[in-house]
Amino acid sequence: MPLLLLGIAPFVLAALVGPASGRLPKNVLTWGLTAITAALFVGFLGYVPEVSTGAAATYVLEWVPALNLSLSVYVDSLALLFTLLVTGIGALIALYTGHYFDEIPDVRRFYQLLFIFMGGMLVLVMSGNLFTLFIGWETTSISSFFLISFKGKAEAARRGAMQALVVTAGGGLALLLGLALLGTAAGSFELSVILGQKLQDHPFYTAIAILIFIGCFTKSAQWPFHFWLPGAMTAPTPASAYLHSATMVKAGVYLLFRMYPVLGDTPLWSGTLLTVGLITMGVGAFVALRHTDLKLILAFSTVSQLGAFVALISLPGGKGLLPTLVGVLAHAMYKGALFLIAGTVDHSTGTRELPKLGGLAHHMRPLAAAAVLAGLSMAGLPPLLGFLAKEKLLEVMLTGASTLALIVVVASALFTVTVITILVWEVFFRRAPAPATDHHADEHHFHAPSWGLQASPAVLAILSLMTGLLLNPLVDPLVAPYLTKGPLQLWAGINTPFLLSVIAVVGGLGLFAMRGVWRRISLPKVPQAKQVYDAAIRGVERVADVLLTSQNGKIRYYLAAILTAVILLASTAGLTRVQFSPQAIQIRSGSDVLEAALLGLTVGATFASILFKRHLLAAIALGVAGYSVGGLFLLEPAPDVALVQFLVETIGTVLVIIMLSRISAPERKQVIDNLWNQTRPGIIRDILISSLVGVGVGLFSLAAVLNRPNRDTIAEWHLENAKQAVDAADVVAAILTDFRGTDTVIEIMVFGMAALGILTLLSTPEPGRALQFRAGQLLQRLRARGVNLAAPTAAEKKATQDIQQVIEQEPDIKQEMDAMLAEEGQKILATPLTRVVATLMLPVSLLIAAAHIAYGANAPGDGFTAGVVGGLGVAVWYVVFGYDETKRRLRWLHPIPLIGAGLGLAILNAVVPLLFGEAFLRHTGLKDVILPAGLHLSSTTFFEVAIFLTVLGSTALILETIAHPQEVETM
Amino acid sequence: MNVLFAITTGILFGLGVFQLLRRDLIKSAMGFYILFTAVNLLFLAVGAYNGIVPAYTTSVADGQQPSDPLVQALLLTAIVISFGMYAVLLGLVSVTARRYKTVDPDGVDQLKK
Repeated sequence: MPLLLLGIAPFVLAALVGPASGRLPKNVLTWGLTAITAALFVGFLGYVPEVSTGAAATYVLEWVPALNLSLSVYVDSLALLFTLLVTGIGALIALYTGHYFDEIPDVRRFYQLLFIFMGGMLVLVMSGNLFTLFIGWETTSISSFFLISFKGKAEAARRGAMQALVVTAGGGLALLLGLALLGTAAGSFELSVILGQKLQDHPFYTAIAILIFIGCFTKSAQWPFHFWLPGAMTAPTPASAYLHSATMVKAGVYLLFRMYPVLGDTPLWSGTLLTVGLITMGVGAFVALRHTDLKLILAFSTVSQLGAFVALISLPGGKGLLPTLVGVLAHAMYKGALFLIAGTVDHSTGTRELPKLGGLAHHMRPLAAAAVLAGLSMAGLPPLLGFLAKEKLLEVMLTGASTLALIVVVASALFTVTVITILVWEVFFRRAPAPATDHHADEHHFHAPSWGLQASPAVLAILSLMTGLLLNPLVDPLVAPYLTKGPLQLWAGINTPFLLSVIAVVGGLGLFAMRGVWRRISLPKVPQAKQVYDAAIRGVERVADVLLTSQNGKIRYYLAAILTAVILLASTAGLTRVQFSPQAIQIRSGSDVLEAALLGLTVGATFASILFKRHLLAAIALGVAGYSVGGLFLLEPAPDVALVQFLVETIGTVLVIIMLSRISAPERKQVIDNLWNQTRPGIIRDILISSLVGVGVGLFSLAAVLNRPNRDTIAEWHLENAKQAVDAADVVAAILTDFRGTDTVIEIMVFGMAALGILTLLSTPEPGRALQFRAGQLLQRLRARGVNLAAPTAAEKKATQDIQQVIEQEPDIKQEMDAMLAEEGQKILATPLTRVVATLMLPVSLLIAAAHIAYGANAPGDGFTAGVVGGLGVAVWYVVFGYDETKRRLRWLHPIPLIGAGLGLAILNAVVPLLFGEAFLRHTGLKDVILPAGLHLSSTTFFEVAIFLTVLGSTALILETIAHPQEVETM
Repeated sequence: MNVLFAITTGILFGLGVFQLLRRDLIKSAMGFYILFTAVNLLFLAVGAYNGIVPAYTTSVADGQQPSDPLVQALLLTAIVISFGMYAVLLGLVSVTARRYKTVDPDGVDQLKK
């Protein structure tokens, strides 16, 4: 458990950095974070005795058992070494960061990302579950992305981050697949189980191995995926030092090391890893010589060293494991130190280019000493730890690999010596470069680094020395389980590895001395892996451009494409399994003839609505079709549904006609003219798609109709129980309001939402027309109050004057104004006859509505039809009297409160039984209330009233919004 | 008899989809309504039994076969919701006409690269 907390701690720190950085000065923040990280380091140290015996500290916390995901911890000496590296170097980096960044926002963001990374790395190495490991892996990739693109304004930074992410995340995908296969093959996703098995002979082995290789090669920058690491040098130096040399890039090495007992020692393993590792080692060391940017040199030498590790792990018999561990430790320290030194130099002089640097030992003595120490460790000279690492490397390569491998290793070591000597010499010890103006500028720009920028590299450099001198107390416990041949010794006598080492050093120094010569040789350009990556990205973009040409912005084409795709999919999926037997169409009686006739009328009217060009005629034809469907419902016989259908069809047609008048005539004329002006292929395409869809749906309906359920359905139950359960003769109403009452509650909610949706859609004035809208509103209010604009009060006079000024000045507004006033004279429909009819119709319709509610349980009609009937009465008013007069005379009609009241009553009616211990929406008879004329009162009545109110309010709201004169023509 | 319903559903669906593809937003909205109608017809056809009398308990007592009430209840809800959606569609067409000054969908082509 404590291990888990130690691992999660950095995430907590990252969360705390934000609020803390606002309140604490930078110094306190830096010291605090450094101290806490150091505390984590000490915490992990406490586990050294436990794991140095070869055992592992474990802890399991179940997270998502169904996904085989558990927060389990598995820390053996390999994992512990890595955690110590992560937290130890992390503490030094935290200290360095505080001095590297000057601005608080930068510091805050960097610390947050740094600690997220630290947490991810800890999760990665400490994880005992394959998927938790993967989560840590990807966390490090993502935080690395953000760290590389830290100075986001520079395009190089963005490009480098993108490159790193694409490569490492792509490898991560392969890794996920490999881990999934591994877990399946091993039977468990827990490392403690997997590590006890040997899967070299498993049928999945090749796939697992290759996938894991890809993941590890991308992460650890092996050739040909190595190009992202130099590109990642656009990150701030602390990030480069931490992620891209000391910890993150070693994650691949870690995983390969972990998987060695399970997957290692096969020809595939040894061959691939050795080849790739050696190529990387050679390429990295060689290319490092060709660069002049400090960080690039260090990056390529890191690539080379990682290649060495991978090559070591390939060796059979586990010979390479101990050298790898020692090498990882040594490399982390010296490379971290060198990167931090490069950062300090950059910070102080403003440049990282070798040709421009020189003579810095004079100004930065401690830093120079640290650089020398670290450089000695990198070159592999005693008594530093790097020497031991190199000795061990050469020793196992001698016995375990071919001569060619050995040559590559020695050559790489040689180049490394050269590179580091050049670096240290040219930065610190040679005389500063010639051009006086440059030097002048450097002197001006030079400022001495603060102690913090020198402390961290110094500590790491000293550690490189001390671990070399004090091997047994400091290093042995960390690698104890791998010490098969006894404790580590720095000096093993003058043997072949030592001689090879001497050759490398001497050769390297010689090459250094001749650097003037070979530096001027320019090499032929070879194709680089980076170019492959660039070409791939460009190819993807070009394909995307091609695909985008199919997006022409026209909805009809998108719709046609979607429908075609659906047809294709459905036809390939469904058609093969359908069997048809011929069915006879029986015409048994007169009502059947009528049904057939009505069906024909429906189809005919719909077809007519397609053919009619003018919208009004098409709407009326559609209304006819709707009525014939209502007739079909009547013949079912289903009187309730027929009633609803007739009413809804009526109000729908009214709605369309009102809306048509709101769209300006020229616009409508334009589409009428264009309707059949499509090109021939266009029409044929549309007909083809629609007929295919129609055929498909027709077949589906046929299948549905021919396979419908027989008599033993729940409908029987409803028929039998309607009377005694809810005291209703009308079973359909009983189902609607009682048996499936919740459906109806939600239905009226949806209906109310639709109405409110239309309100929000149509009453927001267009941007830029707000003033117009306001003026119009004001004028209407004035008119509604009967104010005679010719003789207004003083305030109204001023208001109207202001508005009139505005109106006169804007031609658009003036036009609107005229249109509005002209409307007044256009009430052709408001003849005395229609006015009388409309005035009478509203109370009658409300009476019919009341009747529907009262007799809903026993006769056709329910709350919904009541609401629509009331809505129709209101609609007649809007059509005959127009918006203004209706709003003025029907003051009691406030649609939105009606909707609210209706919904509230419905929910109240449903919830009240809960208070009495009954079920939700339980029916209660209320038989005690005696009412005349055979009426019964029950809770259902309240529900019906609620539905009535909601539907009336919604319908009135829809009508009001669509009839609002603000929606008048705009042309 | 119900086979005719199914065939009509298919025909209506085809007609409705054709309307959807028209170059006229108002007609497209009407096309949606045709689709709703078609589906309602299908609902009717797949009821459990063909009835002689409406689904009233008083009729059941008479011993005659009532029609399927469950399908009718679902149908009622469907008609209500389809009306609501039709109204919203018409509102959308209205807004589009106001904002883009056209009811031609090809004139509203801001949805492109």
